[in-house]
Amino acid sequence: MSTDDSNANQLETLQNGFLSRHVFGSNHKIIGLNYLWLALFSVFLGMAMSLLMRIHLAWPGVHLPFLSSLGNLPDRFAALTTLHGSLMVFLVLTAAPQAGFGNYFLPLQIGAREMAFPTLNLLAFWLTVASLFGMTATFFLSPQPAITLWIVSVAIFCAASLLNALNFSVTTIDLRAPGMTLPRLPLTVWAWFINAILGALIFSILLAACICLLSDRIFSTHFFPELNFISSQPARAVANAVPVLWRRLFWFFAQAEVYVAMLPCFGLTAHLISTFSRKPVWKERLVVLALCGVGVFGFCVWGQHMFSSGMNPFSPLVFSLLASSLGIPATILVVSWFGTLWNARVQLNTAMLFALGFISLFLSGGLSGIFLARHDLAAAAAVSDDFVTGHFHLVMGVAATFAILGALFFWFPKLFGRRLNEPLGKIHFWLTFAGVYCVFMPMHWLGLIAHSRVSPNGDLTSIALPGSSIHTFITVTILLTVLAQGLFLVNFLWSLFRGERVLETNPWRATTLEWSVSSPPPAGDFGVTVPVVYRGAYEFSMPDAAEDFVPQHLAPSQVVKARKAGE
Amino acid sequence: MPGTTPVPDIEIIVEDIGGGGGGPTPPPDGGDDGDAGGDDRNRRRRWSPSPKRYSTAITIGIVSILMFFMALSSAFIVLRRGSELWVTVHLPRILWANTCVLLASSFSLESARKRLYLADASGFRKFWLVTTALGFLFVAGQLVAWRQLVAQGVYIASNQASSFFYIFTGAHAVHLLGGVGALLFVAFRRFEKTKISLPAAAEITSYYWHFMDGLWIFLLALLYLGK
Repeated sequence: MSTDDSNANQLETLQNGFLSRHVFGSNHKIIGLNYLWLALFSVFLGMAMSLLMRIHLAWPGVHLPFLSSLGNLPDRFAALTTLHGSLMVFLVLTAAPQAGFGNYFLPLQIGAREMAFPTLNLLAFWLTVASLFGMTATFFLSPQPAITLWIVSVAIFCAASLLNALNFSVTTIDLRAPGMTLPRLPLTVWAWFINAILGALIFSILLAACICLLSDRIFSTHFFPELNFISSQPARAVANAVPVLWRRLFWFFAQAEVYVAMLPCFGLTAHLISTFSRKPVWKERLVVLALCGVGVFGFCVWGQHMFSSGMNPFSPLVFSLLASSLGIPATILVVSWFGTLWNARVQLNTAMLFALGFISLFLSGGLSGIFLARHDLAAAAAVSDDFVTGHFHLVMGVAATFAILGALFFWFPKLFGRRLNEPLGKIHFWLTFAGVYCVFMPMHWLGLIAHSRVSPNGDLTSIALPGSSIHTFITVTILLTVLAQGLFLVNFLWSLFRGERVLETNPWRATTLEWSVSSPPPAGDFGVTVPVVYRGAYEFSMPDAAEDFVPQHLAPSQVVKARKAGE
Repeated sequence: MPGTTPVPDIEIIVEDIGGGGGGPTPPPDGGDDGDAGGDDRNRRRRWSPSPKRYSTAITIGIVSILMFFMALSSAFIVLRRGSELWVTVHLPRILWANTCVLLASSFSLESARKRLYLADASGFRKFWLVTTALGFLFVAGQLVAWRQLVAQGVYIASNQASSFFYIFTGAHAVHLLGGVGALLFVAFRRFEKTKISLPAAAEITSYYWHFMDGLWIFLLALLYLGK
């Protein structure tokens, strides 16, 4: 009897421990990991949806187990598209690089032990979970309540992102360790910080827009009368108008999201490339300025988009000028990455491969972006969504996912004390890299064909392949690419429990503060002493140091000793 | 010397802040001697997040809320300009009285902070509670304004101008109630156990409250001039 009681008590305390640690724990590492789990769940859900959509596009007659049971109506397909987009953009691209890795590593990298407001952080996480539930639930409702619920979920997500933005910016401003001056911040921290400022500005605008939309739907006000009219029509009656509604809503949010999703990925990529090239970031100050530039220009472009999406026919020229000027900071970033790689002894591990893959995808996606930034060409491309779909999936969706995967391979030893399997990771990388190009490049082609069909003197009609064979090709390659992600899942789960243990604290010989503590970091992150920072974040291959890296927390006297030992 | 100001006998308390650029800077590269490492090991301090974080947070929060209202105001201006059938909403008279109440609350808040600075606890509490009461009075006055409009048959869905009136006043009132919550927190919370000190809490509450005050005047001007 007594043993049973004690067992029950023990179980209860264990459960309490689990709940208080993983559910109501406000520790920045737990919340960061929770965001990553959320993103992992969402990314596989979103991928399954894209697979359903592609199968439907290539073989419309095929019986789909999930879609067909829900009536197989056109609005089901539209709902699937929306849900795929919302999950991927909000829960994966926004949550994983910023809230996931940021919550875990921002305090560690600046020498703080916690975010500025842990309780707000916890609240933001649960608001995010609530918005995930809301967005997913929309799929099972009839269209009218579903649209309302979707907008409510987006508004909740905006609130969560605002809390996150507040927490990130305050933490970076006020909680840096002694000696961690602004020029010494790692570029990841710079990117998270600028992104947080950008988020604090734009998510409140999105929240205001959501509230106007909700007021239109609930109190029948007239902020967006034409949207309300279209959404109240039966789906078949305005077959051409329904996509306009979705497109407007989608772009309304997506244009802001692009930069919010990309900024942390720029920071992660610069960090990985410097670390695995064993060279300082080329023109680090300029890179910081370019990151600020992406934030500022991104914000302006979004402002124009807001006016062009149903509120004011604002001059498209200004928008197109601003959108093209985004090329300047983007070019600086790319040149700096290449400058860092120039003449470097590159360590081609999986993390670095994903960072290089990010550059490749960002460049090819960015080139088609130049076409879209010119308003006359964009109008032509808008004839078909396929060109735009191909463009933003390459530049934003897939590129950002590559940066996230690179960061995961890089930080996995710190997160779990084990390594991801390198050969498996490399196979996964090459399959995915080839797969995404095969999926999204033909989409550009589809867009051009659709355009040439509409315009009377299009030259491409003569050489245009029948669209359906391209659709089939895309669908087959996406099937293979999704299957290749199974490889990653196997690698992830296997390495989590059986992966090679990492005994040293700094397996990559990196410089930033998170590598000065054990893996995974202890409860207080830095033990009893407050870390002190003596140098910049990218002191690789310094001429007066024996080792090819000098960690940020190493006092100058200790470095001198290292040189004497080397001699 | 007659020109020099006398140095007051104030004990300067330097807070041992854990982070930020304000923390002690490490020795510069190079010219330090060998015992710098030992000095580093003596630097055992308990980590506590910088108290500056509250005022930073309220600043960023204010900017963020400002963007929220800027989005609404730009929608107002764009729709007002683009619409040919703009039905004006006659602002209820009580709004002017509410404005006076809100302005008075800002003054009483500053008086309260002055009493706090002079270590006059009861005076601080008195003026602080007056501010809180004025805050409640303002919200009640806004509700009366809504009732008056409803009595005239002007509802939120009547026309775009009325939609904007209700959205502006409603969103402002929700944000202001947050400020009233902060006032109540400062008035009734015992500060021995909190992470934030009473003067700091009073200061950031006052920032937010004055911001709400200025925001209301901006919104009122927008509604009045946008007629």
